This record gives sequence, C-alpha cells and structure tokens, in this order.
Amino acid sequence: MNVMGLATCWFMRTIEQEAEEVAGGLRRRDPALLDYLIQQHQYRLFRYLLMLTGSREEAEDLFQETWIRVLEKGHQYKKRWKFETWLFTIARHLAIDFLRRRRPQSLDALREPAGTARPFELEDTTSSSAFEQAFQGEEAASVATALGHLPAWYREVLTLRFHEDMELEEIARVVDSPLSTVKSRLYRGLEMLRKWLKDIEA
Amino acid sequence: MMEDIHERALKLIDKMQVEGVTAEERGWLDLHLESCSQCRKQGSETEQALRALRLALPQFDPTLVRTTQMRARIRARELIENAVRMRALWISCTLSWVLGVVSAPLLWRGFEWIGHRLAISRAVWMTGFALSWVVPSVVVAAVIAWRQGRGTSVMEERWRVILENGHA
Repeated sequence: MNVMGLATCWFMRTIEQEAEEVAGGLRRRDPALLDYLIQQHQYRLFRYLLMLTGSREEAEDLFQETWIRVLEKGHQYKKRWKFETWLFTIARHLAIDFLRRRRPQSLDALREPAGTARPFELEDTTSSSAFEQAFQGEEAASVATALGHLPAWYREVLTLRFHEDMELEEIARVVDSPLSTVKSRLYRGLEMLRKWLKDIEA
Repeated sequence: MMEDIHERALKLIDKMQVEGVTAEERGWLDLHLESCSQCRKQGSETEQALRALRLALPQFDPTLVRTTQMRARIRARELIENAVRMRALWISCTLSWVLGVVSAPLLWRGFEWIGHRLAISRAVWMTGFALSWVVPSVVVAAVIAWRQGRGTSVMEERWRVILENGHA
C-alpha cells in the first residue's frame, strides 16, 4: 500500500472512531461531549438556521432547541451516519414545525412556485432588510440583500452545497427531497443569486 | 447553431459548480471560453457570486453557545435522573407482576373463602379479586403521570431561574 493509501486508511479510521465516540457519548448523554459538539458546530448550524428562517431571533431560538433535541434523540444516532447530516436534518424538522406555529399560513403559501414541492415545505416570509441585519460587514451587505430576495428553499440548498460543501445525495437526505429536486433548486438558486447580485451592484 | 453552443456553455458553467463536469466537458468549456467573452463574463459572475456567498458572515452572539450548553446540561441531568427512576419503576413493576402471578391461586381461594363465609354473591367477590389486580397498576400509572408532569414543571422552573439570573 502506498503512502496515500495509508493516509486515506488512517483518515477513514479516525472518522469512524470519532463517529463511534459521538454515538456512544450521545447514548450516555455525556455533557462534555455535547459541550464539544455545540462548540464544534455552533457557527455552521447557526448559519444554516439563519438561511432557513431569515431571522436572527428565530435562528437563535432554533439553535437551542436543536441541541436539546439532539440530546433527547441522541440514542437514535447511528455511527454510520455523518453527524452534520443528522444534525441539519433535526434542525430542519424543528424549523418547519417552529415556523408553522409562529407564522401560521395556508398550505398554499408553503408550496414552491409551479407546485413542484410537496405541501410540507418551508414558507418564505423573509424580508431582505431583516436578513441584512443578520450579516456583518459591508462586503456581506449586497449578498445579504440578494439572499433576502431568494425564497428559503433556494437559500437552504445553496448554503448546504456551497457553505457546507455537502454532496448532492447528502443534501437530498437533509431536505428529504429527490435528487432531481435538489439539483433544480440549486440551478435556479444560483441563477437568482447571480441575477440579484448583478442588479444590486448595477 | 451558435445559440446552442452558448447555451451549452452557460449550462456547463452552472453544472461545474453544482454537480461537477466530466474532463471532456471541461475541455470543451475551456476552449469555448477562450474565444467567447460573453460566456467568460457569465463564468466570472458565477464565481464572484459564489465567492461572495462563501464570504458572507452572519453575526454570531457568543453567549448563545454558553446558554445552550448550560440548558443542554440541565436537560441531560433531567433525562438521566428520569432514566434511573424509570428503571427502578420497571424493576418493581416486573417483580410485583411475578409475585402477583405466583400468588393469584392463593388470592383466588382467599376471596372465595371470604365470599363463602360472608355469604356474598359470586359476582361480587370475583369483582373484588379483579380489582385487587387492576387497582395497583392504575395507582402506579397515576404516580408515573404525576411525576412526569412534576418533572416538566421542575425543568421549566430551573430554566426560568437561569434566564433570570444567568446561571443555574
């Protein structure tokens, strides 16, 4: 076996060991492990929730609720799963429930245009100004404005693909949608982001 | 024909970012971009948009992590305590069920004897026997429900104290 092969083997073993430790710790409800996981994933989870909700306050509430849910459902976590995928799936389910309660609307409002999505979808009530407030720095202002114009289902897949660098299959698992839906959302989201950024800069 | 070529190039620019392209497609695209300024512009706009997206940093409140960790610790303690209580309850329920089964013939005879001595009708002492089986489990279920309700309010109270004082 060459050096690259050995390195890959060692890396894979490390990932497996870590997943096993996480699964064991979650079953035991080990507070030290949970502290570590919260610290480790704080920024990424918050960014994902912010992209989903478009509101800083709601993202903060959901951030806490997600970790409490991780603690309660920790025994269901399997070491063969990627922790981030499982975490984002939990966060997404909570966000949908939370938004349904907080912003009750008809099911029609939760649908993606052209009826391509299933009824159980994220609604889009984000105002671009609320979204801008959640970002820091002048450079981010135009992106925040552009993102504020994008519906939540596009922002969600964009962040999973381009912030989290997730594979398309992983994204499909998180958003519980077919691969073709994920792809079409990514293409459409990218197109809209490009268009809005161009308009804002012009 | 020319439109088809540009359309293909624009599709490949997005495909490269979203799902990746084959070496053959990449080669074709590079060749096309060398000679087409319009498509090259679209390519650089796409890259700029994604770079800007990746660099956009949401503001993060550092106290959120501490509050979440504290809340998770309290909930973890609560869940562990509940698990210990539930285990003890299950063990005692199992023991009581086994003892109940073992003692059932004796209890039956006891109820029968009392019914005979007091000249009570068969239906009445049989109902008494049935109740002696049902009542303990009903009491245990009520105790569990009460404890769970109490557990939730204790949790809420602890959480309220944290929010007010900033510590557990």
